[in-house]
Amino acid sequence: MEKQEILRIENLKTYFNTDDGMVKAVDGVSFILNRGETLGIVGESGCGKSVMNLSVMRLIPSPPGKIMDGDVFFHGKSVLSMSEDALRELRGNKISMIFQDPMTSLNPFLRISTQLVETLCLHQGLSRSEAREKAVQMLRLVGIPTPEKRIAAYPHQFSGGMRQRVMIAMALSCNPEILIADEPTTALDVTIQAQILEIIKDLTVKLKTAVILITHDLGVVSGMCNKICVMYAGRIVERASTDDVFRNSKHPYTRGLIRSVPRLDKTTRERLYSIPGTPPSLINIPECCPFHPRCEHAMDVCRVKYPDETDFGNEHKACCWLYGDSNRTG
Amino acid sequence: METQIVLDNDILLDVRNLKVHFPIEEGVLLRKVVGTIRAVDGIDFEIRKGETLGLVGESGCGKSTTARAIAQLYEPTAGEIYLEGKDLCKLNREDLLKARMHMQMIFQDPYASLNPRMTIGDTIAEPLEIYRGRGFLQVSSSDIRKRVEDLLEKVGLSRYFVNRFPHEFSGGQKQRIGIARALALNPKLILADEPVSALDVSIQSQILNLLHDLQEEFGLTYLFIAHDLAVIRHISTRVAVMYLGVIVEIAESAELYRDPLHPYTRALLSAVPIPDPQVERTRKRIILEGDVPSPDRERHGCYFYDRCSQKMDVCQTNIPHLAQVKPDHRVACFLYFNP
Amino acid sequence: MAIYGLTLVTFYSLLSLLAPILPIYSYKHQVLDHQYLPPSLTKTAGELLYERQEKTLMEAARDQGRSELNEKEKEELSVLKQRINQETMVFDGKAVQVHQKRYILGTDSLGRDLLARIIYGGQVSISIGLVGTLTAVLIGLIIGALAGYLGRTFDYIAMRIVDIMYGLPYMLLVIIFMAIFGRNVINLFLCLALVSWLTLSRVVRGQIISLKNSEFVQAARVVGASTGRIVFRHLVPNILGVVAVFTTLQIPSFILMESFLSYLGLGVQAPLASWGSLVKDGVDGMKSYPWMLFFPGLAMTIFLFSMNFLGDGLRDALDPQSKNKL
Repeated sequence: MEKQEILRIENLKTYFNTDDGMVKAVDGVSFILNRGETLGIVGESGCGKSVMNLSVMRLIPSPPGKIMDGDVFFHGKSVLSMSEDALRELRGNKISMIFQDPMTSLNPFLRISTQLVETLCLHQGLSRSEAREKAVQMLRLVGIPTPEKRIAAYPHQFSGGMRQRVMIAMALSCNPEILIADEPTTALDVTIQAQILEIIKDLTVKLKTAVILITHDLGVVSGMCNKICVMYAGRIVERASTDDVFRNSKHPYTRGLIRSVPRLDKTTRERLYSIPGTPPSLINIPECCPFHPRCEHAMDVCRVKYPDETDFGNEHKACCWLYGDSNRTG
Repeated sequence: METQIVLDNDILLDVRNLKVHFPIEEGVLLRKVVGTIRAVDGIDFEIRKGETLGLVGESGCGKSTTARAIAQLYEPTAGEIYLEGKDLCKLNREDLLKARMHMQMIFQDPYASLNPRMTIGDTIAEPLEIYRGRGFLQVSSSDIRKRVEDLLEKVGLSRYFVNRFPHEFSGGQKQRIGIARALALNPKLILADEPVSALDVSIQSQILNLLHDLQEEFGLTYLFIAHDLAVIRHISTRVAVMYLGVIVEIAESAELYRDPLHPYTRALLSAVPIPDPQVERTRKRIILEGDVPSPDRERHGCYFYDRCSQKMDVCQTNIPHLAQVKPDHRVACFLYFNP
Repeated sequence: MAIYGLTLVTFYSLLSLLAPILPIYSYKHQVLDHQYLPPSLTKTAGELLYERQEKTLMEAARDQGRSELNEKEKEELSVLKQRINQETMVFDGKAVQVHQKRYILGTDSLGRDLLARIIYGGQVSISIGLVGTLTAVLIGLIIGALAGYLGRTFDYIAMRIVDIMYGLPYMLLVIIFMAIFGRNVINLFLCLALVSWLTLSRVVRGQIISLKNSEFVQAARVVGASTGRIVFRHLVPNILGVVAVFTTLQIPSFILMESFLSYLGLGVQAPLASWGSLVKDGVDGMKSYPWMLFFPGLAMTIFLFSMNFLGDGLRDALDPQSKNKL
């Protein structure tokens, strides 16, 4: 399958200037997204995945946050230097987002119809009646029963799962090239989560949308994504195809994470593996491997210098001093 | 009405036909009861000494309400809760206080379960202070202080944290403080209401290990509530699956995961994502239709009828009750027995 | 801003407390000769009296078509001068060269030093504000907290009482109360407090209701805490921010209420002063003797502003979410 690059993030750095110090929320993140791919960004709270997400579309609140370095290229064009008009053309139209809590991303005072139709009219230049028809179609596609009637309802009249479906309908209504889903199912029950993930999978395959799926749930990424980036303390510590990440992970954090998650299909009533310690504070974080206090393989060099990226072939890269000087990229 | 039953020395907690209904009121001036939320609608189960019963289900199934009803934070609408042979619902204030010494709770939200204006030392010491004040404990202030420090170390925190406030700690540490508080009175039973759901993955395993170690060291019995089936599988000896306020299946842990019988249990298990791409690719998912319903109607048939892919006529008109179909495996479904 | 508020409030409070030992004149000694003297930093009372007399005589002379004082008038002035230099009055057993006094803020209609009256008036006003507010807060806090936590019957009855009392015209109540029980300062405190606890009780009740189902309260119940312990050890400390702000904002309100009463003549009785009564006296002579209104008014306004800033600062300091927390 030929790969067509549509999104490239290069060395993105987003810092927040707070009273307590400089928070390096995203500290040099790079990855590529190709057409039709589903990329998973995995990390725990505080690793910077949501901030990175918002940075891509320049949605960072500008004091106190600032994109300090790096760039985001959409089809080769720099998003960070685009004009406001061009950016608006991008948001919601070519690149859409859905969030964890649909209650806060849907305006509780507006009917669903208003919100859907507005998006369509704005970006696709449809007339109101055409837009409404398309909106009903989208709702049917995401599995909302009797969409012609439900479209007139308000967000609070839907359940959590239904609201998330509406979000997906809204996000996909303009047929975007990229769908960014930030923890879309974390707040949902497991059976509803299965439904929603199924919808996302079906639709994005049908519409050939590329997906960036951000989550902390390793189970979700293993079922949904082709490739994965593992984030820790604002950096990507490992990136690889999904199979490689689970079968052949290189970074101690990735390994530790996979080992510490209890699995449904394996019985262990003994102690779980657990990574000791806690994630670091991102305030004034020093220039070293952020994982070293918790790493069982920590060496002296880990404490003073951030490891260079090692390429393991097949687009599998990790940043760890265990892999030293050999196989260095660039 | 007897408040004591014949003791089977092995059984620590015996819940019989527990119901917790909340009235829905409407109206501005004159509040009228227009319906009930049947959060818990008749459940029976027992927990033996030293074991961990996992209570699992989705939102609205009644698992948290069950825990709170056992803790007597809610008044049960019906049913009996026998802790070491005494029915908690019938005890007077004094006896209930005595009973509480043996039954403590760990809460889900580490941020909300600690009083932000009390030092953690005071928070952990509080149960001891209360019981000393009532005369149930003969301890001195310095005894209490020492015990608090010991407890802190037991849960993996430094004893020098005694005078700090909750906001100075991370989520995982706060949860450890909550655990220390629950252990203060040396209880026999601990009701753990989603103790790891609000924590990061790497911290989750630490806390689960801690709970495991404490159980071994102190011979604790757990009622462990969670919605994460993998976590439940890991920590429980037996598992009960709840749906809409009733238990639909209850079995020994490995048995449940090996051979789930109830259609809901099957759907639930198949919906859980497994962190293994190969397994994920090859599994067959059962996707349930519709939403998780709300427990606001009285039911005359199986509670799972609307979403069940294997429903039969008889399921609509009769309510299946838990019946034993295999050793240590009970299920409430007409697929396995006749009404 | 809050720091300024705090400084000023402390300053005022210290002045009030230390008033008896401060080197100021008495607030009640009357020197009728010194009526309506304007404020002056440099000139003594005597000099002002002399100037005033001189001016009057000159005006009278001009009316008569003269541009100079005649002999009789000059004689009058010189007698006055002598009296000024020598006259003494006895106050509290001490003879004072009365015309050597310097009235920094002027005098009132009975020749009493305005500065002293403002300071002593501050004493009265601030203590009314403080004590009254604390009483109101105590009542409101207890009733509101219990109503919020216990709910049901207690809450219903308590809130109906609040509703009814809200409907009554409280000034009227205060006036009737004072008329029946006499007009002294204690009664003033009491009845103002009795009508002011209402708002706080509602606010406290609301806060308690929002907190009473928190997990830490449930945790306290599970470890066996009694209602009293939960309300006063767990819930109230968590709403202190609101209570503190209310308190600091209620004190000015009390002072104003007292001023209003004094204006009606129902407040403190002479010779005691309060800022309110001073303002009343000042309003009467507003046109000719503006300092009588200006200085007490200014003093009161500054204090009220300071309390408000202090309240804002306290709210920020006590709010655990705010960055400026203690």
